[in-house]
Amino acid sequence: MSEFLMFLTNGLVMGGINAISALGVSLVVGIMRVINFAHGEMYIFGGYLSYQLAVGAGIPPVLSMLCSVAAVFLGGLAIEKWLIRPTYGDEMYSLIITFILSIILQNAALLIFGPYPVKPPSLVFGATNIFGLFHYGNQRLLSLALAAGIIGAIMYLVRRTWFGKSVRAISQDREMAAMLGVDHLKVNMISFGLGCALAASAGAIIAPIFPVTPSGSGAVSLTAFVVVVLGGMGSLKGCIVGGVILGVLENLGAAYISTDYRHIFGFIILIGVLVLRPWGLFGKRI
Amino acid sequence: MKPVLEGRDVSRSFGGLMALHRVSFQLFEGEIVGLIGPNGSGKTTLFNAITGVFPPQEGEILLDGKPVSRLKPFQICRMGIGRTFQIVRPFLKMTCLENVLVGIVGRDEKGTSREERVEQALSELEFVGLGGQSHRLAGSLTLLQKKMLELARALATRPRVLLLDEVLAGLNPSEILQALDMIEAIRVKRKVTIFWVEHVMGAIMTACQRIIVLDQGRKIAEGPPDEVRSNPRVIEAYLGGADA
Amino acid sequence: MKRAGLAGVFLIAILVPFFLNQYWLHVAIISLFYVMMASSWNLIAGYTGQVSFAHAAFAGVGAYTSGMLALYGGVHPALGIIAGTLLAGVLGLGLGGLCIRMGGIYLSLTTLGFSEILRIIITNEEQWTRGTMGLQIPGVFSVYSKTHYYFLFLAVTLAFLVLMRRLLNSDTGLAFRAVLNDELAASTSGIDTVRVRLMAFTSSSAMAGLAGGLYGHYLMLITPDIPSLGQMFLVLAMAVIGGMGSFAGPIIGAIALEFLSEYIRIYGEYHLLLFGLVALVIARFAPSGMVGLWEKIWRRR
Repeated sequence: MSEFLMFLTNGLVMGGINAISALGVSLVVGIMRVINFAHGEMYIFGGYLSYQLAVGAGIPPVLSMLCSVAAVFLGGLAIEKWLIRPTYGDEMYSLIITFILSIILQNAALLIFGPYPVKPPSLVFGATNIFGLFHYGNQRLLSLALAAGIIGAIMYLVRRTWFGKSVRAISQDREMAAMLGVDHLKVNMISFGLGCALAASAGAIIAPIFPVTPSGSGAVSLTAFVVVVLGGMGSLKGCIVGGVILGVLENLGAAYISTDYRHIFGFIILIGVLVLRPWGLFGKRI
Repeated sequence: MKPVLEGRDVSRSFGGLMALHRVSFQLFEGEIVGLIGPNGSGKTTLFNAITGVFPPQEGEILLDGKPVSRLKPFQICRMGIGRTFQIVRPFLKMTCLENVLVGIVGRDEKGTSREERVEQALSELEFVGLGGQSHRLAGSLTLLQKKMLELARALATRPRVLLLDEVLAGLNPSEILQALDMIEAIRVKRKVTIFWVEHVMGAIMTACQRIIVLDQGRKIAEGPPDEVRSNPRVIEAYLGGADA
Repeated sequence: MKRAGLAGVFLIAILVPFFLNQYWLHVAIISLFYVMMASSWNLIAGYTGQVSFAHAAFAGVGAYTSGMLALYGGVHPALGIIAGTLLAGVLGLGLGGLCIRMGGIYLSLTTLGFSEILRIIITNEEQWTRGTMGLQIPGVFSVYSKTHYYFLFLAVTLAFLVLMRRLLNSDTGLAFRAVLNDELAASTSGIDTVRVRLMAFTSSSAMAGLAGGLYGHYLMLITPDIPSLGQMFLVLAMAVIGGMGSFAGPIIGAIALEFLSEYIRIYGEYHLLLFGLVALVIARFAPSGMVGLWEKIWRRR
């Protein structure tokens, strides 16, 4: 029983990470109709930079996490401005460009960081007894808490700030939003930067638990896409619910059915949703 | 006499916005009917509804008495409704000949050879005055030529009814006269019924026998140009209310 | 002028085995594989505007079907390759039927999912496929000769290209290009755009299956690398750099990049990074690829 609870909680932790990661994709898709294939690379850059700053430069772990996320955010702004904006909304070209970008970044990461997995130092140690039922690692609990915190911050951002209001206006009716004076260019740029930052924060949060490697970036991107499709493109709620469902399913599936095929569940869900109910759980009906 | 094209209580909304509200109309064979209204009144939406791009959510569209509302755009075209677009849309990276050939291929008739189709396409190009341009890329044409090409392509689909969406937009006065001649030639020589959305008032008032006026998704007037021109509701719609 | 050029190219192509050594002849054969792959991918991406990520997967279908039939069923590779082509076509029809209607992002994601599912299955069903260790399968010829393989590939590639050319010049090809130029205008001109895109997708996937089947029997060792996204990227890069939407673009891109990657390999495994950078620059600044740039220069004269 306690084993099951542990797998379940693992699923929740991964679910939280999936949710943040998926939020990053969903934001960009909802606002810009662009799929950022380089998402996974942003995630591992988050982990790697966090590691390099903490271990290489001796900066305190919390600060290195923040700095690496900030660096990726700035990188995202630059990418939007110089690579994506000029495609003028041509879906095909923006898809191709982010796909190529992901290959470039993945190979660059291999060159710069090397193929070996790295693990930034944990922020906390030890384990806690949960409700007297099972023991669970504190770093993992912290990761879950951080993930929840970020989700909360995003929800605040979307509900209260001008950026959030613009985002909601655009995702509801693009033309109306333009007529009302919403600054598309600025919103696009910040959205993309934020999307990348969310990926990086997911990577930075999970890295102390599961080491990051450059070859893992593809799986990260694909997982994020699956969650976004499952939850519904452009739906915040969907990312959370979808992320948790996928995290739990994959962990339980890997534990009780087969570890080799663990990733196939995600893809089967992806295709199933796209075919049967393309707007996912909470997305807008198309 | 039965109408060639008929709309009964056509309604269409987007999100919460009612773009068309129970619009009914009839077009009889050989007529040239104008459709006017302030911006946002639903004119292009009505055209999109007729051609199946955004089908009506309520109501019916009938061609020669047969309902076409549930058909796909390419099927509606094959049944005999052709259209041009507000922002002209020829196939820019294809030659004029190829542009018109698409219309012919779209008819999906068996039994014509390649040569016959090319001949047909060339004669359509001749008809609109682009006979010498068959091998030029559509992207390199002038605005007027592009509009003529769009007409040729639409004619190649052998329409019964042709929907013209602001075909005079962007043309100078002499070009407008050329376009008007062409439209009349299409109506008379090709026996096509014409439904015409336009903002260039002078032209549409002289060319059309009957005008339908939309405002905010509703039909507010219908009749000969003089009547419509002096209709107080029409005047108010253009001058008074929401000219977004 | 053009005919003379083509005749010259044909002549060079025939004489290739006589002036290249075995290593570079191998590279030439591989580049013909990529010519088929890039050209057929171009059919859906360049000519009908759908970015499919399942292309390498269909090549994998061809390779593994034919390979396993030959290895376990004693089927002659010629038949096996045909079987692989047909299976790839059928799967393409199925996959296309699922996602063509949705188009755009949804199509790309569905094909991505399909590709990964296939790769995972191939990797894990080690009993049949030997997974990442690779499956050894018989070759086409009983006596191995690179020269023979070269001419086989050349013949198939040429037939391939001739067929594609005729398709594109036909009414169907006209419809393809209309859909690429402006899907809305095409549909209101009577073109059944969904059917057109589905036809392009199905024929393209069958072509990938054919190329993959042939490739497998040449290498005689097939691995899950064939249906991988890395291979998919190479094919995409070749089409993009060569010039999407043109006939010659993918051909030139495939040959150029394959030979180039062999040169670069001498210095290290940088070719992916380099191709990525070049492809990015081209996609960003010269979307019509090398062919487009060439035409622009030619027009200025």
